[in-house]
Amino acid sequence: MEIDLRGIITVSLIAATLRMTTPVLLATMGGIFSSQTGIFHVGLEGLMDIGAFFAVVGSVATGSPWGGLLYAFVACTIASLIFAVIHLELGANEIIVGLALNIFAIGMTKYLLVEILGNAGYYQSPLIKGFSPVDIPIIKDIPILNEILSGHFPLVYIAFLLVIVVYLVLYKTPFGFHLRTVGEKVEAAQAIGISPKRIKYIGLIIAGIFCAMGGTFLSLSYLNLFSENMTAGRGWVALAAINFGLGRPIPGLIACLIFGFADALALRLQQFDLPSQVVLMLPYITTLLVLAAAAIRQETRKRRAGRLKAEQEKAAASA
Amino acid sequence: MNKNGLKLPLRKQILNILSEVLSQGLNYLIILVLGLAIGAVVIWLSDLDPVAAYTSLWKGAFGNVYKTADTLDRSTVLILSGLAAAVAYRTNVFNLGLEGQLYVGGMAAAMVGFLVQGLPSAIHVPLCLLAGVLAGALWTIPVIYFRIKWNIPVMVPTLMLNYIGILLTQYLAVFKFNDPTSGMIGTPKLLDSARLMKFLPGSTINIGFIIAIVMVFVVYWFMFKTRTGYELRIVGFNPSFAAASGMPVNRSIFLAMLISGGLVGLGGATIIMGFFGRFITSFSPGYGWDGMMISLLAQNHPIGVLPASIFYAALANGALTMQSQTGVPQAVVGMVKGSIMFFVTAQLFLNYFRGRMRKWKLTSAE
Repeated sequence: MEIDLRGIITVSLIAATLRMTTPVLLATMGGIFSSQTGIFHVGLEGLMDIGAFFAVVGSVATGSPWGGLLYAFVACTIASLIFAVIHLELGANEIIVGLALNIFAIGMTKYLLVEILGNAGYYQSPLIKGFSPVDIPIIKDIPILNEILSGHFPLVYIAFLLVIVVYLVLYKTPFGFHLRTVGEKVEAAQAIGISPKRIKYIGLIIAGIFCAMGGTFLSLSYLNLFSENMTAGRGWVALAAINFGLGRPIPGLIACLIFGFADALALRLQQFDLPSQVVLMLPYITTLLVLAAAAIRQETRKRRAGRLKAEQEKAAASA
Repeated sequence: MNKNGLKLPLRKQILNILSEVLSQGLNYLIILVLGLAIGAVVIWLSDLDPVAAYTSLWKGAFGNVYKTADTLDRSTVLILSGLAAAVAYRTNVFNLGLEGQLYVGGMAAAMVGFLVQGLPSAIHVPLCLLAGVLAGALWTIPVIYFRIKWNIPVMVPTLMLNYIGILLTQYLAVFKFNDPTSGMIGTPKLLDSARLMKFLPGSTINIGFIIAIVMVFVVYWFMFKTRTGYELRIVGFNPSFAAASGMPVNRSIFLAMLISGGLVGLGGATIIMGFFGRFITSFSPGYGWDGMMISLLAQNHPIGVLPASIFYAALANGALTMQSQTGVPQAVVGMVKGSIMFFVTAQLFLNYFRGRMRKWKLTSAE
C-alpha cells in the first residue's frame, strides 16, 4: 500500500489539527482548575457529554447556537454542583463520584434523547442551529495562513485564547495563587484565611463550564447533531493532557495539540484505503505514548536532580 | 473475669453484626425505593403509568421460570465483570478497562471456538474459556508496566486500551474472520464442541451461569481467606502502610490487575460461547461499565456482587418488556441506575443509620 506523504500532510491537516484540538483543549483547561485544587476530576467525560447534549437542546429551543451554549453552561454547572456537594460535603471519594457522574451522564442523555428529542441513539435535525465559521479580518487575506488560522468556528478561537487567560489567572492573580495554594498545601491556605472548600467549589464549577464549551463544540460545530458516545473518550484524553503538564496550561496545550494532530491524521487517513479501525486507534495510542513520554521525562529530570545533589554533597564533603 | 464480663463481648459482637446488617439493609432498601421513585416520577412526567410500567418490568424479569432463567443468564457476564471490578477496586487499582478486556476475551474465546477443530467438548470448552481469561489478563499488561515502571495511574491507560481493544476486535471481525452470512458484523459460528451447554429448554441459561457462581465463591475465598488476598486488601486499604510492613505492593497491583482482566475476559468468553455462539462486534452494551457499578453497589464485596448483578440483569431484561408493553422507554432504567449510583456513592443513608445504631447501642448498654 503506497501512500504519498505529501498528500497527507497538507495545510488543511494543520487546520483540522486546530479544530480537533479544540474540545480536548477546553476540557483540559477546565480540568486544570479542579486539578490545581488537588481534585483528580474523572467526571470530565460525563460533563462534556452533558454539555454536548444540552447544547443541542438549547439550540433547538432558542434557535441560536449561543442559546445552546447557555443551556450547556447551566446543565454542566448543576452537574458540577452535585459532584461538588457529594464530594466536598458528604465526603465521598472523588474518583467514585466522578465515575458515577460519567455513568449518570450516559444514562441521562440516553433517556432525554428519547424523551425530549424523540429519537434513540442520535439526533440530527435542521432545527439544530450550529455555529458558523468566522474569518479573522487581516489574516483572511494572507495566503496559506488564512487557510490555517482563519475560517474556524468561534469556539476554536475562544479555546486558544482561553489558554492565555487560564495562564494569567493561575499565575498572575490572587485567585490563581489561592487555587494553587489549596492544591499544594491545604494548611498553608487555611493559615492565610482561604477556605479550601470554597476554592474547590469554584474550581469544580469552572471545570464544568469549560467542559460545557467543549461539549457544545462537539455537537454544534461542523456536524450539528448529538449522538451517544459522541465524546469518544476526549474527557479522558484531557485527563492525560493534564497529567502530562502536571496541571500547567502551556504543557497541557502542547499535549492537546499532539492529540489533535493524531485525531486529524486519523480522519485524513480514513480517506485512504486503510482499515478504519486501525486508523481510529491512532489518537488512543498517541495518548499512551504521550503519557509514557511524560513519565520518562519526569524520571530523567528526577535522576538528573539526584545526580546533581550527589555531586554537590561530594564537593561539600571534600571541601 | 466474672460471668457478665465474658458474656458482654459476645453480646456486643452480635449487636454489632446485627446493627451493621440492619443499617446496610435499610440503606439499600431506601436507595432502591428512592431510585425507583425517581424513575416513577420521570415516567409520570411523560404522562405514562408508573405502576403499570414497574409491574411489566417485574414480569419481564421474573414473570415465569423461563423469564427468571433468562435474567440469570443475563447476569452471568455481569457477575464476572462485577467480580473483576471488585478485585481491582479492593486493591485500589482503578481498572477502567473492563469493557476492552471483555471484548478481547470474547474474541479470543471465539477464535479458539471456530479455528480449533476436532476436539471433544470436554477439552474444547475449557480451552476456549482459558483463551478468554488469558486474553483479558494479557490486555492489562501494558497498563501494569506503565503503573509499576513509571508510576502512571492506571485509569487513563486502561481507558485508552478500551478503545484500542474494541477497535482491534472490530478489525478482526471485519477484515480477518468475517462471516457475511451472520446478519451482523461477526465471525463464523463457534463449533458445537465449543458451546456452553444449555440446561433449561426454552431459556438461554447455560453452564456459564454456574461457572460465574463458582467464581463468586472462589474470589471470596481468595480475597478473604488467603494470604495473597489479604495483601491485596491491605495494599488497597493503605498502600504506604503495606509498603512499610514489607508487603509486595507492586506484586499486589500486578496480580489484582491480571485477575481483574482475566475475570472479565472469562465473562466475554461465557457470553460468546453461551448466548451468542459467535463473536459480534457490538455484543456488549457496556457490561464492563455495569460491572464497575455493580461492584460499587456491592461495596466491592464478591458475595454482594451476586445479588447486585441479578438486580442489574433484572432491570435490563424487565426494561425490554416494559418498553414493548407500556411504551415507557427502557432508557428510564438508565436513570434509575444512575440515581441509585449517586445514592450509593454518597453513602448518605448508611452513615445516618450507622450513627443512629451507635446511639441506640449506647443507650441500650446503659
